[in-house]
Amino acid sequence: MKLTLGKIFIQDIVFSDETRLESGVLHVNPAQYEQLVLSDDKISSVSFDIAKPGESVRITPVKDVIEPRVKVEGPGGIFPGMVAGVETVGSGRTHALSGMALVTAGPIVGFQEGIIDMSGPGAAYTPFSQTLNLVMVCTPKDGIEAHEYERAVRMAGFRVAAAIGELGRDVEPDEEIEYETLNFVEDLHLFFDLPRVGYVQMLQSQGLLHDTYVYGVDAKQILPTILYPTESMDGAIVSGNCVSACDKNPTYIHQNNSVIADLYAEHGKTLNFVAHIITNENVYLADKERSSNQTAKLCRMLGLDGVIISQEGFGNPDTDLIMNCKKIEAEGVKTVIITDEYAGRDGKSQSLADADVAADAVVTGGNANQVITLPKMDKVIGTLDYVNKIAGASVDTLQEDGSLVVELQVITGATNETGFNKLSAR
Amino acid sequence: MVKEIERTGLPVVHICTVTPISLTVGANRIVPAIAIPHPLGDPAASHEEEERLRRSIVEKALKALSTEVDGQVVFTG
Repeated sequence: MKLTLGKIFIQDIVFSDETRLESGVLHVNPAQYEQLVLSDDKISSVSFDIAKPGESVRITPVKDVIEPRVKVEGPGGIFPGMVAGVETVGSGRTHALSGMALVTAGPIVGFQEGIIDMSGPGAAYTPFSQTLNLVMVCTPKDGIEAHEYERAVRMAGFRVAAAIGELGRDVEPDEEIEYETLNFVEDLHLFFDLPRVGYVQMLQSQGLLHDTYVYGVDAKQILPTILYPTESMDGAIVSGNCVSACDKNPTYIHQNNSVIADLYAEHGKTLNFVAHIITNENVYLADKERSSNQTAKLCRMLGLDGVIISQEGFGNPDTDLIMNCKKIEAEGVKTVIITDEYAGRDGKSQSLADADVAADAVVTGGNANQVITLPKMDKVIGTLDYVNKIAGASVDTLQEDGSLVVELQVITGATNETGFNKLSAR
Repeated sequence: MVKEIERTGLPVVHICTVTPISLTVGANRIVPAIAIPHPLGDPAASHEEEERLRRSIVEKALKALSTEVDGQVVFTG
């Protein structure tokens, strides 16, 4: 399967009477997209705003971050099973509006939504302070349930992102990257002398607003399966979760998965990137056992020499992570795990809820409990009404001078477990 | 908490869903629960069935509490 990803570099976003994409500038007439949002009767109103890198702007509560893309050639459409049909995606040609993001926000759904600061110390912790953000603030109808509101905002985000992506269909991209994964027989012959490496991606699937969707299927209902790594670039995996902002994977991160990008960069050179294996993180012990058993089985079936495993979220998924690690290692396949840490504000507590000697190669996204003061911003997109309640905040978060004392946990993407974050060791 | 209470000499039963974590942190008497969001119940079960489930877990825990153990035991029976 081969995908050409054409990146159109977005230089600016401006509100305008007419929606168009011209010379890298996205002109948006918000009225044109309002109806797309309000077509869902669970949403009572929507407003659009623009946040640019360096501005004194705070966006919160952030639900999802999405990169507008369009399928130009090849089967299917972006976000299959959600706003497109269920054809298998990941081949042909896709255009991405690179350098921008659609950010969905609005009154809180589930206490685990995030903050994006466009400047100041908080900006250094989120990758989305560097994107030009078109922010969509949705207000739910009175009296609807949290899960209905979550679904309504999630789907509205995909509809608007797909519509904006459509503007890039006939635009000549600034950069093109080709990604190709052969079938198992072909790649075995071609790369017979290279180590066979897979990527095991754990998807958040704890339920109760902690869900991920694969081709429209709730990931807690899947058995671990194999994808071509290009499928997620076309939105085959999307976020529907309100897990702690620092280490959940917004849809943007599924579309731009760093592990996949880095493995492709070495594909055919130092390794053979064989497959993208997806698994889940469910709340029943039998599910955890079954999924890790199946994941280990797939690694063995594919004759892998090594895998990189990325986690999403923290807490009980630490057990899924360790089960995956030790069962895959037991099949004779080397593992490196990517996680993050909840080591307490002083960094002295146990980092993960579970551990095993097999987990001897670990990459960390950072300590989510680390405390940071975020100074007051001139403008808030969304609302600060809930800022003392989101995960990583406390009743003492909002200070008299308007600054926020919070754990990194509240910052969208701060300790991301696919390496899509900005923390590193000195 | 399990370990700290046991340190004072009181036996403790840890009812939990993710028994591997309980084993890792060092609980000695472990009784499996139903699921992380609802350890002692099941919203999908009928009222009568749920009551039966709850009672069976609590009874298992009481039995575990009065059972001598030599090291870590998961009471699955």
